[in-house]
Amino acid sequence: MRAWSFAMGGWWLMASAFVIRMTVREVRSSWRRLLFFFICIAIGVASIVTLRSVIQSVRGALAHQAREMLGADLLLSSGNPFPPALRTAADVARRDQDVTRVSEAVELITMARPDDPARTVTRLVELRAVDATFPIRGAIRLGEGTYRHALLEQHGALVRPEVLAQLGLSVGDSLRIGDASFTIRGVVTAEPNRNLGNFSVGPRVFIDRADLPATGLLSVGSRATFQLLFEVPDQALDPLAARWREAFAEQFVSVRSYRRSEDQMGENFDRAENYLSLVGLVVLILGGIGVSSVTRVFVQQKVRSIAILKCLGASGGQVLTIYLTQVFTLALAGCLLGVALAAGVIAAVPLFLGAVPLTVPVVYALTLSAVFQGVLIGLLVSMVFAVVPLLDVRAVKPALLLRQDTGVAETGRGVRLMAIGVSAVVMVSIAIWQAGSLQVGLGLVVGMSGVGLVLHGAGLVLVRALRPLRHTGNFALRQAVIHLVRPGSQAGVILLAVGLGTFFILGIRAIQTNLLQDFSVQAGPESPDMFLLDVQADQREAVSTFIAQRNDGAGAPVLVPVLRARVGAVRGKAVNLENVQDVRGRGSLAREYTVTYRAALEANETVIAGQWWAGPAAPGAEAEVSVEESLRDRYQIQPGDVIRFDVLGRPLTARVTSVRHVDWKDFRSGGFMFVFRPGAFDGAPHTFMSTAKGPSDLAARSELVAGLVDRFPNVSVIDLRETMQTIQGMVRNVTFGISVVGGLVLFSGTLILVGAVSMTKFRRVYEAAILKTLGATTRLVATSLLLEYGLLGAIAGTVGALGALALSWWLSVYILDMPWLPNPALSMAGIGVTAVAASMVGVLASLDVLRGKPLSTLRAE
Amino acid sequence: MIELRQVSKTVESGGRPLTILHPLDLVIPDGQFLAIVGPSGSGKSTLLGLLAGLDAPSSGQILVGGTDITTLDEDGLARLRGSSIGFVFQFFHLVPSLTALENILVPMEIAGRPDAAVRGSRLLDEVGLADRGHHYPSQLSGGEQQRIAIARALANEPSLVLADEPTGNLDSQTGRYILDLLLSVHRARGTTLVLVTHDAELAALADARLVLRDGRVVADG
Repeated sequence: MRAWSFAMGGWWLMASAFVIRMTVREVRSSWRRLLFFFICIAIGVASIVTLRSVIQSVRGALAHQAREMLGADLLLSSGNPFPPALRTAADVARRDQDVTRVSEAVELITMARPDDPARTVTRLVELRAVDATFPIRGAIRLGEGTYRHALLEQHGALVRPEVLAQLGLSVGDSLRIGDASFTIRGVVTAEPNRNLGNFSVGPRVFIDRADLPATGLLSVGSRATFQLLFEVPDQALDPLAARWREAFAEQFVSVRSYRRSEDQMGENFDRAENYLSLVGLVVLILGGIGVSSVTRVFVQQKVRSIAILKCLGASGGQVLTIYLTQVFTLALAGCLLGVALAAGVIAAVPLFLGAVPLTVPVVYALTLSAVFQGVLIGLLVSMVFAVVPLLDVRAVKPALLLRQDTGVAETGRGVRLMAIGVSAVVMVSIAIWQAGSLQVGLGLVVGMSGVGLVLHGAGLVLVRALRPLRHTGNFALRQAVIHLVRPGSQAGVILLAVGLGTFFILGIRAIQTNLLQDFSVQAGPESPDMFLLDVQADQREAVSTFIAQRNDGAGAPVLVPVLRARVGAVRGKAVNLENVQDVRGRGSLAREYTVTYRAALEANETVIAGQWWAGPAAPGAEAEVSVEESLRDRYQIQPGDVIRFDVLGRPLTARVTSVRHVDWKDFRSGGFMFVFRPGAFDGAPHTFMSTAKGPSDLAARSELVAGLVDRFPNVSVIDLRETMQTIQGMVRNVTFGISVVGGLVLFSGTLILVGAVSMTKFRRVYEAAILKTLGATTRLVATSLLLEYGLLGAIAGTVGALGALALSWWLSVYILDMPWLPNPALSMAGIGVTAVAASMVGVLASLDVLRGKPLSTLRAE
Repeated sequence: MIELRQVSKTVESGGRPLTILHPLDLVIPDGQFLAIVGPSGSGKSTLLGLLAGLDAPSSGQILVGGTDITTLDEDGLARLRGSSIGFVFQFFHLVPSLTALENILVPMEIAGRPDAAVRGSRLLDEVGLADRGHHYPSQLSGGEQQRIAIARALANEPSLVLADEPTGNLDSQTGRYILDLLLSVHRARGTTLVLVTHDAELAALADARLVLRDGRVVADG
């Protein structure tokens, strides 16, 4: 028995030695033919490894910097000056050694301009007034010298380089902020509490907190954020944060500990990494489609060799193992090539990202986990897509060596279905694993399969529609159509790959055009193009007149009263008065809202429930409020409910009397979640905002802004033209990003096309040789090829363009909620370009078919 | 000894059954040289394929060394061919991606013979192609390819060598050389040799002849 099992073990070793030897020989002879196989895999793997590595590198650099990014161990912030109870609590904590250092800062958005009245440039900046202990954690880095608080004392300012560039100032010059002048004493290159990717309305300016009152910007209703930064011993941090969160929740003080932001950041990075690497997975799946088609043709070409091996005594299992090992080897080579590509791209990342200011220096490098994931997924996808066509190896009968009519037998239906089932399960598992979410992973696979099936089906229908052309009188066209419609043609795979690429690119372009057109439609020449904020009640008349005199007769701006309010509690018919914790638990209802009051509806509003009030409320009457429909939908607030607001620290109870629909895209009319009936805020201090039409001439425009800021230093002006440009820039950036993905997809599609062409080349070379023998010129053969791939490209382009139209329609109508503006010129151009590109690629990849001498080809057969 | 009992082969052709080999009984003693002759389409190659287990008969039993090979599955047949049967084709059927030497090594590697490399070189030498081992089939002439195919068929010292018109695709001089090679092996090693040919002169050299026409035996002995 032992001897027997020993013998079996020995036989198995020998047999596997045979498999390995044969694999090496097969790879040696076929690697060129399978080149596209591993390039397809390499690109997908490179995408995954690059994206994951870059994000992991940034994360690695930032993960331990949470304190520095927060600027403190514990940060308290509030839109209102801190209540006395909080200051008392801070003092107690300090006495108990729970807090070792405190710093106080104020952040606000305001206008800055050169002190020289002759200079009319202005700029919206993010002002941060800090004291001597700032920052508690991290450091402010300057272009020259080191930061010390003395630089800010006595009306000093430290600014970001953009401030200097945009205002045409240099270090040593004077800068005017509000009512005060500051001397620029240095340039800030990095600072704590400025997160990567955080939205900012303007560049940073630091001043001394002691100088802030002199600016006059801390008037009631100004949009300042008050901050307390604490240094806290590690063991005291969590209990202290929890205690203060509970104690000051009703006062709307936000309490952030660096530990919590560390966790939050980790989650954000996880999500970003998972979602972005799905792009790589999509590219890899496309590569897998290429792998599948290449493998199928490869097996067809290897049928005779397989029959010989079986004739010489190799079992079906052994032969299958040989080819599976070969696929595995090539896939591994593709994965390693992908890792090498990724390493190259990552080495180039600092060149692209050089301009992005980061708090901490990031060293971009391949990470082990990214490489591991990329290689593992590359191997799995290759095997999943190769295994079904490879199964046919088992069904090859050695008898075909004796009789030519013994065609390629296909594997039994059961085995095939089982293999497809297992492959599908593996693919779905990979997608779920990569997305880090069951829903997203399933969605991706189902979505891609759906789009793929639809494109494939539509393509095949179109190919079938070509059938009548088989009987055309034109020889070249007839040949082209015959090649497309014959059984076993690669048309299906090429249509899928090229069609998907066109679909992605055209779809994205269509959405971009839609977005940008929608913007320009709304921002017509007559529309207001400036926002004025923080106009005080007593400045209304003056500001209005000032603008009306200088805006080419566009008229006086309308000033809208605004207040900042928070929802303290909601009492509905079915619910009791809920405190702020419950309200918070339901989402963002407890955030601060900008609210207004007015007697009439705006042009972009309609009442959809309840009733709009008629005129101002009688003195002493219950306050009335109208809510926007999304609040009703999200928080089930209905007419009749009572909401308790906190307005500048004073409680106000109002009854909901109506629900409004607001057309948010028409942002020039403004949009408010809560609108009160006039009378509710009589006596309460509040500011006004306005949308205004500025002069179209650039010089007159900057003069107007500078004049406004000069006369009313507390007023902030946001130039919508700049904002529009910023938004358009953002749309372009996003489009560029998605276009890169589309480009990768199209590149994979092209590779699949080239691969499919070169895989079927052997048959084509033979056919071309016969045609040439029968009198066809090279030109005729070339025309036929050009027509064949041109037709294929046109069909793929049509299918992709139709898909793209459907996608842009769906996104416009259901997701972006804007009118659908189809662009037929773009679709036509897409179809044309795809047809030309496909025919070029097809002919170039078939050059040997055209060049081969007929006799040598026929002899070789 | 090889024994065929009522072996027949019927295939589907144009949706109708076509009998290409009618029920046949045949005994081939060990060490015999049997020539199967007949015109094209008489069922010669089919019979040879059935002997090698390359195809399954529609009825009957085929006993090779006492084993009924019609009861074996594909892998069982493959093992049997690897250990006991050498096959030489009219169209050589070398694996195009392997060199001449590698083609000879394959059956020995499948069988897991440790002396494969040494024996491979010796066989190459025996067929007079010692210096062509690293050439690919496409770089060899038809005669050279067939000599490699013979070396490959002999690699595992099979007791039975089946040759399907091995000279059919070669000029007469090369054909003669190939035939001499096959016969010298048959004599030197005492292997059973079954050779399909339509060359009457060649058939005359055999110990026994089986003449087929339209799938039926018309003469034997």
